[in-house]
Amino acid sequence: MSHEYVPEIAVDREGKEHAVQGWQDDLYGAKLGFWLFMFTEVLMFGAMFMALTYYYTLHHDDFLIASSSLNRVLGGTNTVILLFSALTMGLGLLKMKHGDVKGAKLMIWATIILATAFLVIKGFEWTAEYQHGIFLGLDALQAGNEHSKPFGQILFFGMYFTMTGIHGFHILLGIGIMFWLLMRINSGKVSPEHYILHFNIALYWDLVHLIWVFVFPYYYMIGAGLTGGAH
Amino acid sequence: MSTETKTYKEEYAGYWKVLAGLLLLTALTFIQPHYFLENATFAVQMLIGTVKAWLILMYYMHLKGEKEIIMFTYFSLFIVLTFFVIVIGVDVANIQFADLNHITSGDAAAAASETHGAAHAEPAHH
Repeated sequence: MSHEYVPEIAVDREGKEHAVQGWQDDLYGAKLGFWLFMFTEVLMFGAMFMALTYYYTLHHDDFLIASSSLNRVLGGTNTVILLFSALTMGLGLLKMKHGDVKGAKLMIWATIILATAFLVIKGFEWTAEYQHGIFLGLDALQAGNEHSKPFGQILFFGMYFTMTGIHGFHILLGIGIMFWLLMRINSGKVSPEHYILHFNIALYWDLVHLIWVFVFPYYYMIGAGLTGGAH
Repeated sequence: MSTETKTYKEEYAGYWKVLAGLLLLTALTFIQPHYFLENATFAVQMLIGTVKAWLILMYYMHLKGEKEIIMFTYFSLFIVLTFFVIVIGVDVANIQFADLNHITSGDAAAAASETHGAAHAEPAHH
């Protein structure tokens, strides 16, 4: 295979040859390194969730009212889409590990399609919110004018657009690295014998899903009881 | 070979079982605010989210059996939560807007509950 490991040889001052240690198949090291990266992601989103919790205690009622106005049907649909995308990503990795490269590629394509559907739905949702005058920079979310929403709601929507925006950016990045993964599989650099990259990208996708698991109830569900039903 | 096939089948079935669990919990997320523990929606939603996160971490992210990473996670969580509780605790103890806060001010609490009542009567839609 093109990626077969050929040990590099280093020569010392006495002219003796030594094989340089290769790390190509260090699954544990690659996994641990990627987990360290993911901890930085958790710290970033964790800080935002903490800020959100703090503001929620200060502006409890404004948060509930603002939450009740979000579209839970679209938010819920995106939740289910991400659930299935985590499944397809996991099944893809499983198929790769067991030698079914074609099946693995199909599952990655399915994940890309689901991720794109998520972004399209999020786009519709943001467009509807913009048309209702709720978006970063519009009067409703600026303090000190006649259209201003209460301060707590300005905070809520500010954090909502920031967090769902950053999450959406992660989805976009995920689609990009899944295309890259497909290219690596096609070139034979990711295979049933060397699937570390596939493993880590699946981990990344699960992290993106994991963040949504908390974003969804935090924004969409805490005020669900106010309206008497999803709309 | 047969063992490998069995392992594949078991893992394959495991993924679907976890999906079923996650879908069930998602359904619970939608039902809860309208049918039970309506006064504790935030806490219940976070609890459901935590159970879902646990399923994802253990089975989809393959952490089951990874004792070192789990210990590292608990340690990090402990550090962050400790920091959060101390920093927020100091901040709340010295809050500038104590009289405007619905927790620290009795008047504001009453006003907040009125707003809450109004929210029930006339929910915000867009």
